Amino acid sequence: MIDPNALIAAIARSGDREAFAALFDHFAPRVKGLLMRGGASAELAEEVAQETLLAVWRKAGLFDPAKASASTWIATIARNLRIDIARRETRSRLSQVYEILDEEAPEQPDATLSGAERDARVRDAMTRLSPDQYRVVELAFLEGFSHQDVAHRLAIPLGTVKSRLRLALSHLRGRLEDLR
Amino acid sequence: MSIAHRPSDETLAAFAAGQLDEGLAVVVACHVEANRESRQRLRELDAVQGALLDAIEPVAMAAGPRDASGIAQGAPDSAAPVSEAGMPQVLRPYGFGPWRPIGIRIAMRRVEVPGAGARVFMLRAGPGIALPHHKHTGVEWTTILAGAYEHEYGRYAAGDFDEADAEHEHTPRVDPVEGCTCIVAMTGNVLLQGWLGRMLQPLVRF
Repeated sequence: MIDPNALIAAIARSGDREAFAALFDHFAPRVKGLLMRGGASAELAEEVAQETLLAVWRKAGLFDPAKASASTWIATIARNLRIDIARRETRSRLSQVYEILDEEAPEQPDATLSGAERDARVRDAMTRLSPDQYRVVELAFLEGFSHQDVAHRLAIPLGTVKSRLRLALSHLRGRLEDLR
Repeated sequence: MSIAHRPSDETLAAFAAGQLDEGLAVVVACHVEANRESRQRLRELDAVQGALLDAIEPVAMAAGPRDASGIAQGAPDSAAPVSEAGMPQVLRPYGFGPWRPIGIRIAMRRVEVPGAGARVFMLRAGPGIALPHHKHTGVEWTTILAGAYEHEYGRYAAGDFDEADAEHEHTPRVDPVEGCTCIVAMTGNVLLQGWLGRMLQPLVRF
């Protein structure tokens, strides 16, 4: 089991190659798996995974474990790069929008959970979803929120997709609000 | 103070997942920048993606790590231009057309969002006027940037998000004192009514 926070810190501190290799071995195949689950080709998924880990190397000094877990940080970098690469020909600027939102508006620490606590609770709440709900959330996040597509993939009626997704999202929110 | 109008969970989740059309996403981002509750929700939805990443079945990479040694560490240069005063920071990456009057005390300016399916524009209306009565075939998402308007679903003030779909038909009335400036993303066709609607039509369908 690796300690991603320590590895990222080592990269930030001294450009530690071994730490980078360990982080790559853990996260690159997962980013690739995530992209492919979302319908990306193996080539595109590989490219996004490579670029994501290079961005982790470059931005290691900006990682703040109080704001989010390493997995969440890396997942959002992968999301931005997926958008950049998939919409390259249209000169999409959406990833800049996400970056601006991320740097803007520091949260008030007393009013909210720390990033690491929030991540742990979201993770816990995710494990409490029924397998059906989990699958709908996963498909929506990775393949898009077109209910028609999700309904088709899962071979369930459109109304069931809508209600399942709504229920799953409200369960997640409920679990977090209880703890705020 | 009234309750803030915020996007549905589903809309925020689609935004977090990077699954929204860029035009719609820009309007959501203007709201998120201004609304603390939605920012907090967005962090939670980002954490959902972290949890999905942890749980996913890894797929072996075809190649090992690229040599990162030549790549400089540290923050990239902030190349994004400074935003105009009073404009949301998230609009920094985008260009704008000129303000063009489209009626008495109503002006409109295009927001250039390359690759967006939705049309994005800003609308500025003087105090007390009624915005064109209209229906549409797609969705119309609005974030109020300054001032306020009111329609049958409530009062929408700076930072509020108004998520209307094809079933809604409304006639917003602009705040009698403050006026209203908002950013709008529209999909589908707009069916405007009345003389103002007829003036607005060719501009909306740019």
